[in-house]
Amino acid sequence: MRALVSAVYLFLYAPIALVVLFSFNAGRNASEFTGFSAAWYAKAFSNTFLIQALQNSLIIAFTSATLAAVFGTMAALAIERMGPRMRVVFDGLFAAAIVVPGVVIGIATLVALAAVFSVLNPAVASLWPGDSPPQFGLGYASIIAAHGLFSMAVVTMIVRARIASLGRDIVEASGDLYATPWGTFRQVVLPQIMPSILAGFLLAFTFSFDDFIVAFFVAGSKSTLPIYVFASIRRGVTPEVNAVATTVLVASLFLIFAARLLMREKSRTGQGDT
Amino acid sequence: MSKFIKPITAAELTAEFMRLKRGSVTRRHFLGVTGLGMAAAVVGGRAGSFVREAHAEDLGTQMSFATWPNYHDPASFEAFTAKTGVAVEVNVFGSNEEMLAKLQAGGTGWDLFVPTNYTISTYAKLDLIDQLDLARLPNYDPTTETARFTNEGIIDGNTYAVPKNWGTTGIASNTSKMKTPVTTWKEFFELAQTEGTGRTMVHDYQLTTIGNALVALGHSFNSVDAAELAKAEELLIKVKPHLFAINSDYQPGMRATDAWLTMCWTNDGAQLNRDMPEIAFTLGKDGGEIWSDFYAIPKSGANKAAGYALLDFLMTPDNAVKEHIANGTPTTDSRVLALLPQEVTSNKIVYPDEASLSPLEFGAAVTLTDPGRAEVMARFKSA
Amino acid sequence: MAAAGNRRRSLVTAALAAPAALWLGVFLVLPFIAMLVFAFGRRAPEGGYTPAFTFEQFLNLPARSAAFLNTLMLAPAGALLCLLVAYPVAYYLAVRASPRHRLVLVSLIVVPFWTSLLVRTYAWMYILGSRGLPNLLEMIGISDVRILNTPAAVLIGIVYGYLPLMIMPIYVSLEKLDRRLLDASADLGARPMSTFFGVTLPLSMPGVMTGTALVTILLLGEYLIPQLLGGGKVFFIGNALVDLFLQSRNWPFGSAIAVTLVLVVVVVLTVAMRIAWRFAGTRRVDLV
Repeated sequence: MRALVSAVYLFLYAPIALVVLFSFNAGRNASEFTGFSAAWYAKAFSNTFLIQALQNSLIIAFTSATLAAVFGTMAALAIERMGPRMRVVFDGLFAAAIVVPGVVIGIATLVALAAVFSVLNPAVASLWPGDSPPQFGLGYASIIAAHGLFSMAVVTMIVRARIASLGRDIVEASGDLYATPWGTFRQVVLPQIMPSILAGFLLAFTFSFDDFIVAFFVAGSKSTLPIYVFASIRRGVTPEVNAVATTVLVASLFLIFAARLLMREKSRTGQGDT
Repeated sequence: MSKFIKPITAAELTAEFMRLKRGSVTRRHFLGVTGLGMAAAVVGGRAGSFVREAHAEDLGTQMSFATWPNYHDPASFEAFTAKTGVAVEVNVFGSNEEMLAKLQAGGTGWDLFVPTNYTISTYAKLDLIDQLDLARLPNYDPTTETARFTNEGIIDGNTYAVPKNWGTTGIASNTSKMKTPVTTWKEFFELAQTEGTGRTMVHDYQLTTIGNALVALGHSFNSVDAAELAKAEELLIKVKPHLFAINSDYQPGMRATDAWLTMCWTNDGAQLNRDMPEIAFTLGKDGGEIWSDFYAIPKSGANKAAGYALLDFLMTPDNAVKEHIANGTPTTDSRVLALLPQEVTSNKIVYPDEASLSPLEFGAAVTLTDPGRAEVMARFKSA
Repeated sequence: MAAAGNRRRSLVTAALAAPAALWLGVFLVLPFIAMLVFAFGRRAPEGGYTPAFTFEQFLNLPARSAAFLNTLMLAPAGALLCLLVAYPVAYYLAVRASPRHRLVLVSLIVVPFWTSLLVRTYAWMYILGSRGLPNLLEMIGISDVRILNTPAAVLIGIVYGYLPLMIMPIYVSLEKLDRRLLDASADLGARPMSTFFGVTLPLSMPGVMTGTALVTILLLGEYLIPQLLGGGKVFFIGNALVDLFLQSRNWPFGSAIAVTLVLVVVVVLTVAMRIAWRFAGTRRVDLV
């Protein structure tokens, strides 16, 4: 049993070890190790396109996850207050947002936006008083929207699961003590559902940061990190890509570790207060 | 003054150039000795001030450029940014169909892109690209271009695209593994099923994969005849179980010797042969493709002024030379040819004999939009 | 008063739901309607879409039957293979691992998600290519093994990419399992094997079903893994779809295939839910 489990961990980590190893390759391709060097890290961080793609990915992942966390939580709260008929509609739509394959979401969004832009842009141009009317096109907004769709559904699902296990009596007690609904929400409900919102945010961020297929269709002129990597796989990856992947891995491990420490610290001071 | 602008012979230029490449002299020294620096300073300075005067207010700070992977010297874009303050976002694509698909869907935001010869008439017909304003390209000189490679950029006397470079689609074979030499596409498809079984690659690109299968069967590279296409489909499906991959990214496979035989573009052939001399590049004696890539400006471009500025920058001979050395393709511009080191111009992969080019065909516009060819390719891949 | 309160209450509900509703409407419902409309249209001569009302796209679906069949075989096969690898790991984590190590071991299952799947799949291209595993096998005398660009390579990539998604739900359901039940079973003289098949496995069934359904559904739309590890020879519907939009530019046919794919997903999901429901039913009986 132990041996089998160890083998699975080896299976999970061997490719990652390889990615990290090749990031220190002296040679110029990521499939032949010729010597140890950290030069590709310097190259990667002076490669404007790679850095731009990384920046785009971070901006898109952060924005879509934030919007998804806020709107998804609002929706979760709203669904609790809805009548059964509306609830079924929202349940169905959120379920669809999760199970419809990414490739279909990407294509459908592209097709629909292309249709909308082909009507919208000439219309705006004909009404615009100045010389250069604004052109609507694919870019940050379309990627954020398409990623946010899945993310919002995930946040809503997680937050609703948490709300379901939430004690109603404490909310009623807060009302009985003349707290305003907003006050009750802020001081009683929000702290309790916060971990699930954060979990949803993290999942959404991870999904958006790693997504290729949806962005591939709706990215327009913006290149995300996965799009950049996919493009470089087409003609052979240089260890630059490995260097960035390793940096992202180390940064996220660091963040997880920092969050852990912070939470532990917080819970300790929290205990001190009471 | 005259001390600096001494005439320099081609041999001296090459020697100086090789020295520059080896790093034993600085770029400044090289430019000083060859007089290029002066020329560049004069031309660049004048063009630069002209551009700045004319467009300073609308060049913006950002532009978007769509091209092919490993097709440029990244330093070119850095130099452009340093000169104009415009940052260039580079997007890379794998096929002309993909570029057309993105442009048709709209909203790409590209200000400049690199389509291949046979696609330009379709782009113009679909009103997806602008007619070029040559006054904004002072460094482009139609008289130094080779008409054979420029004519498809000109439609009804109007220039819609200007050439970047030309090239061919041939056969790359690892001669240490493949004992039988390959000289025709007929032999390519036969060897794929025998000596090269499990080791052969074809492009994930309808034009070349179907085209070369058609050539192997004795038909035109550009055929859209239903019966001939059916024969080509039959051949491709028969060969499919013997293929290592259907993929236009054959460099990694060839370098790792997972693949021994592949359809191959000039620039990849030159790069593979440079690093692994046992990989030979041959043109099909029975036919195949000759092509040229162009620069064009999409109608939907958001910052066309910067698109023109970058295009003009890349057309400047001393910038173009660096580009050609970086990607290993033959130039269409005699000004650039004159500046290229002999090491490059004598390379038979990059500049093959005229005779070996004569069986080759330029891709035809109809292949891009013909639904029959697209379906044959799709059925071949999903079979 | 009550009426005003009710109105205020529903206004708040509407305000809370509005952003999500707008989002779902514009980026889910509208695209799906557009796709449905396109599926009944025709391909324009230069590619794209021309309005029409025709069933020819749906009638042409058999032209992609190979891709559909391939997907409908490899997706469940991949999910089952994934399950076979995931179950022992989840079981070990939930039942055998010491509580002290459990958290670390579980985190280690999730950490691979923090490195781009694309980059990791690229690493697999190296491992399965001739310089990787086949090279090692050659050293011990097994020569000319070719894995890259075969269905086997795609299955390995699938198991690799989806393993954490399979392990987590099974782990969660096993973790909830009351260990006293296992002890009781053992006390009553059940052998470990019969305890496993009589108690553990049925109790972990919801996790198994969730994981299998989740992975199967995600695999039905897979594009990257067959593209990178299948060498363009192992074709999923996702690959056919991408080709139709990015090579053939046949939007109507692509839309028809996308609509069909969504229907396939719904059918698979419904069947999975039915089975899960049945298992949930039997579980209840077992417990009584």
